[in-house]
Amino acid sequence: MIEANTPLLRKVRYFWPLIVLCLGLLIIVAIVDSTGDIILAQTLVEGLVRIVIVVAIYMFVGNSGIISFGHIGFVLIGAYATAWQTCCPYTREMFMPGLPTYLLNNSHHFVLAIFLGGVLAAVVALIAGFAIMRLTGIAASIGTFAFMMVFYSAYLRWSTWTSGASSVIGLPTTTTPWVGYAYAVVTITAAFLFTRSKWGLALRSSRDDEVAAKASGVNVFGQRLLAFVISAFFCGMAGGLFGHFLGMLTVDSFYLGMTFITLSMLVVGGMQSLAGAVIGVVVISVVIDVLRRLETGIGGFSIPSSSAEVGVGLILLLILILRSSGITGNAEIYWPFKRDVSSEGALRRQS
Amino acid sequence: MTVDASQGTNAPGADNGMVLEARDVTVRFEGLTAVDSVNETLHRREILGLIGPNGAGKTTLVNAMTGFQRPTAGHVRLGSRVISSLTPHWIRRHGVARTFQAGRLFRDMPVSENIEVAAVSLGMSRKKAHAHAMELLEWIGLADRAALPAGILPYTDERRVGIARALAQKPQFVLLDEPAAGMSDLECDDIMHVVREIPKQFGCGVLLIEHNMRVIMGVCERIHVLDSGKTISRGTPAEVQKDPVVIKAYLGHE
Repeated sequence: MIEANTPLLRKVRYFWPLIVLCLGLLIIVAIVDSTGDIILAQTLVEGLVRIVIVVAIYMFVGNSGIISFGHIGFVLIGAYATAWQTCCPYTREMFMPGLPTYLLNNSHHFVLAIFLGGVLAAVVALIAGFAIMRLTGIAASIGTFAFMMVFYSAYLRWSTWTSGASSVIGLPTTTTPWVGYAYAVVTITAAFLFTRSKWGLALRSSRDDEVAAKASGVNVFGQRLLAFVISAFFCGMAGGLFGHFLGMLTVDSFYLGMTFITLSMLVVGGMQSLAGAVIGVVVISVVIDVLRRLETGIGGFSIPSSSAEVGVGLILLLILILRSSGITGNAEIYWPFKRDVSSEGALRRQS
Repeated sequence: MTVDASQGTNAPGADNGMVLEARDVTVRFEGLTAVDSVNETLHRREILGLIGPNGAGKTTLVNAMTGFQRPTAGHVRLGSRVISSLTPHWIRRHGVARTFQAGRLFRDMPVSENIEVAAVSLGMSRKKAHAHAMELLEWIGLADRAALPAGILPYTDERRVGIARALAQKPQFVLLDEPAAGMSDLECDDIMHVVREIPKQFGCGVLLIEHNMRVIMGVCERIHVLDSGKTISRGTPAEVQKDPVVIKAYLGHE
């Protein structure tokens, strides 16, 4: 048995849930990378981008307890903001003639472009959140949904900047499995640190009891807004990653379908746990992939198209009925070794 | 003596002359006057009892004094500063804390984090907040429950954690809403001991709402009696107990 009584081991124990998640993903990425299977690699990258989205949504939803139907709006904002900076230098004016001269004539490195996409999403979240975060419970959730509808409709009509209902084609496909992995790790780490920070703690208290949180000095509105902005930032970056994975963008791909899939992943995994967010993405992605392959037919056997959505819907229902706290039961990955006796004793002596 | 309330409670040697006062506080809900021109001044290091039959307006008065209910008329002052227009979390940060009848713990969190929430919101780092929470739990006798989820505590312990949470970062005033409700005599003795210790240990003024007369008579120096939102009597426990108006209010309702 290992006792975590050296400073290093104590650190390892503290970061254990994070280490396990990142190592687990590392193993998956390494295995897929070594097979050289291109189709499998695409599924993997899509999964990694979804991890960024779902973990970002977890930061807000898991800690605040307010379900958001609007975060895909931030993915949309980030995706197009990135495309303005990186897409198709020679045909950019054809797709998006309304862009300001600077954007028409200059391209940014995709890392910077993705970062700025996240920043724009965060700025929009700050403004929208200023109104929406004053609401509570179901009103706040519906507010986020209205927010997404506004941006979806606006981007669909804003054709000089977004190409409207048609696609923007020609983004460099720079989101490789390892790039996706790097962003997933950064996002998971941010979510882990946020959850354990004083802001995460204060926000979770408002999830349990808003009145008692206020009586304990928690600025509930401020904490919600902070989490909303941070999670919008990572959703925005996920949008950029998504564009650079597909190589093209359509407004329609950031709508109810994506909202449904990502929220299903979060609920199936366990809404109030970081491990749940990651595991939910992995499980649902595998299910979707298997069903999609069956839809196209394997060895003469095939199932009707759209079976993937039906399958996810059924799994979501089963989880809600049988285990509403998700696969992880809202728990994090725990330290598998003997509990640290010495430091607990020290804690008692201290007080 | 004038004191700048914005300095907050945590300044070492915060002024003992600071008072929390309700001036002509009135709270009206559509036609019903729940609190009717109530005046009271709570000093630091004293224990003031607030009693009255059910529906007398005790909790509404506490709500008005902690920002959960905006007074329809009148105001609440902390020192020279009017606080009745502030939001609850600011009032807590200025040093007026409260507990709730139902406990209202953060049920999904460990007991220690329930207190840490208040400590970090009042400016401590997480590490310091944890040490502070353990100190308070030690003081109130629940240090061995620190890691348990708050939702599984028996309600007697729940109340005590609620009191510890209200005492995080040494508020100047703490308003306790029926901490002994439903407790046995033995458990009441425990709570009485805790309440008596609060002014001594933390230097704060205590306003105690309680139905249990043994607790009220046992710990309070002064008592304020409300009935139908109005002040009907004030004085020492002995005076109030003999007051015919008080006796009538209680007998009339029971």
